[in-house]
Amino acid sequence: MSSEAYRAGGLAATRTGSLRDSLAAVGGSYYWELRKLVAQKRSWIGLAAAAIVELVFLISIEISKVTPNDGPYADPMGQGLRHSGLALTPVVLKEIAYFGPAIIAALVAGDIVANEDGGGTLKTILVRSVRRGEILAAKALALFTYVIVALVVFAVTGIVAGTIAWGFHPLANISGTRISAALALALTFAAIAVYAVPTIAIASFGLFLSVVTRQSVAAVVGTIFYALALEGLAALPAIKGARPYILVTQLHAWHGPFQTPTNWTIIGHAIWISVLFAAPPLIVAWIVFRRRDVAS
Amino acid sequence: MFDPYYRQPMTQPEGSGRRPVEVRGLVKRYGRVNAVDRVDLTVESGDVYGFLGPNGAGKTTTLRMLLGLIHRDDGSIRVFGRDPAADPVTALAGVAGFIEEPRLYPYLSGRANLELLAALDLGGAGRKEIDEILELVELGDRAGDKVGEYSQGMRQRLGLASCLIRRPRLLANGVDPAGIRFLRALLRRLAGEGMTILLSSHLLAEVQEVCNRVAVIDHGRIVHEGALADLETGGSYRLQATDIARAVDALEPLDAVAGLRRELDELTFTLGGDEDTVELTRALADTGVGIRALVREQTTLEDLFFRLTESDADLREAEAAIA
Ligand SMILES: Nc1ncnc2c1ncn2[C@@H]1O[C@H](COP(=O)(O)OP(=O)(O)OP(=O)(O)O)[C@@H](O)[C@H]1O
Ligand SMILES: [Mg+2]
Repeated sequence: MSSEAYRAGGLAATRTGSLRDSLAAVGGSYYWELRKLVAQKRSWIGLAAAAIVELVFLISIEISKVTPNDGPYADPMGQGLRHSGLALTPVVLKEIAYFGPAIIAALVAGDIVANEDGGGTLKTILVRSVRRGEILAAKALALFTYVIVALVVFAVTGIVAGTIAWGFHPLANISGTRISAALALALTFAAIAVYAVPTIAIASFGLFLSVVTRQSVAAVVGTIFYALALEGLAALPAIKGARPYILVTQLHAWHGPFQTPTNWTIIGHAIWISVLFAAPPLIVAWIVFRRRDVAS
Repeated sequence: MFDPYYRQPMTQPEGSGRRPVEVRGLVKRYGRVNAVDRVDLTVESGDVYGFLGPNGAGKTTTLRMLLGLIHRDDGSIRVFGRDPAADPVTALAGVAGFIEEPRLYPYLSGRANLELLAALDLGGAGRKEIDEILELVELGDRAGDKVGEYSQGMRQRLGLASCLIRRPRLLANGVDPAGIRFLRALLRRLAGEGMTILLSSHLLAEVQEVCNRVAVIDHGRIVHEGALADLETGGSYRLQATDIARAVDALEPLDAVAGLRRELDELTFTLGGDEDTVELTRALADTGVGIRALVREQTTLEDLFFRLTESDADLREAEAAIA
């Protein structure tokens, strides 16, 4: 056995303060944050839930006796149900808009820092060569990646299952314009992309709670509560005028791509409102995480 | 209260900036508890340094500050001349360690854990080096298993591996019983290769065999710091003499001799240090008593530890509890 392996020397190069070093540090940590997510059961439960919700809706629509213009048929693009598989994802998106993303984002966001706090691995990684801010940035990026992957899993499951059940056919968009199946397919992913933006803002709040509460369960529950509270706020008649500026309202901006002409206004609006909601929790999380004692 | 063991913070000697560890006047308070109370530590290059103390003494808290994980309330810390609080990544470039037991990802394999940490070292160990170190800590055949399935001892060994892949010049570790037997031989070898080692433990007997210097901490204060050799001086002695009765008369008046007792044809007593034997032999010679044998009993760190940390308050408490 070679003694070269552990010869004392200290890391050859100490880091410089360059941006390139920082990006490399974030990149390396990001890769491993993803690997951690892949290795954790909780991540797969979230993805499975995203897929299953489509299947549950498909089956319930298949076996239900609701008449057209009723229930889900009244949803945007609901007229296409049973006629085109591409109607399934928009309808389910409408039905779960408020709580779906909150639950899936919360599940992982609330855990991503708190889990390492509780398990003591935070102190293991904080004594290596990556700065705290870089670790948090990598975690945020991995979290956002997860949210996007979960939404893609959701969409792909809906498209595949819907197509198997009802075929790959043209359908009417939200404005009533008939669009080809291929266009509907592309627009579904555009809608998912728009939908991801406020979802990421909710996840950002979950990350913040994960940092400050240090408790996975508290952060997960808190994030869901946050989304529900915002929804309650948006429903208050007294502040009707503020409604467009509340985060959860942006969970409907995915309609934009399915309108004729494309409603860029609500898409742009959703993006900047989401950024406004995401920035404070991310900034506070960053400040707290960089300074706070890690004693677990 | 006067505390004879408390030392005033030393002024920094010239050219001391490159010492592995230099801690001066370190303080950490939790509410009213002074978890760490004006602690000074100096670890020289090449030391295997034992940081010892009973439960709750402040070892872990000190180590956390040393590794830049928690803030201090007062004092200074220099690791190879740099302050880990100001810039942990730079200050700790030559340092690896874990606090209490190593904490690794239970849902990743042993090898994946090491790869992850090597990645976070930025330019850390490669695959070949990781394999070698896994062999070294005798985890080669279990490296693919999840750490959650490891025994405590295996986890301790993987923890050590996680430090070694960083090629540290200073290894700062807590030690727990599960891994110690394995660690001992390896630590000695690492020290032989020039690694400075700081071991924090309340397991005296175990650490004693590997350390050349120790600091003993109790209630947040350093009650002893020094070379292990210094500690081994003094303690209990046994004397056999040509005339035991006259030997007692000769020794009784001496200040240096304490706890004098006669056991058959032997005397037992304690001395403050080996140098006190000069006075002792002179007193015996003056009374015309010849020495047949004068033997110092081996002082274990354990004895020392209790001598240093068993404060009067503790004794009174114990007496009160009995009464
Ligand atoms: N996060 C904390 N909050 C409050 N008090 C703390 C905290 N951490 C440590 N303490 C207190 O500081 C003192 C020193 O604790 P520390 O963990 O450093 O002891 P230790 O020497 O490592 O003990 P052990 O051998 O049991 O590990 C104790 O009185 C402990 O209760
Ligand atoms: Mg401890």
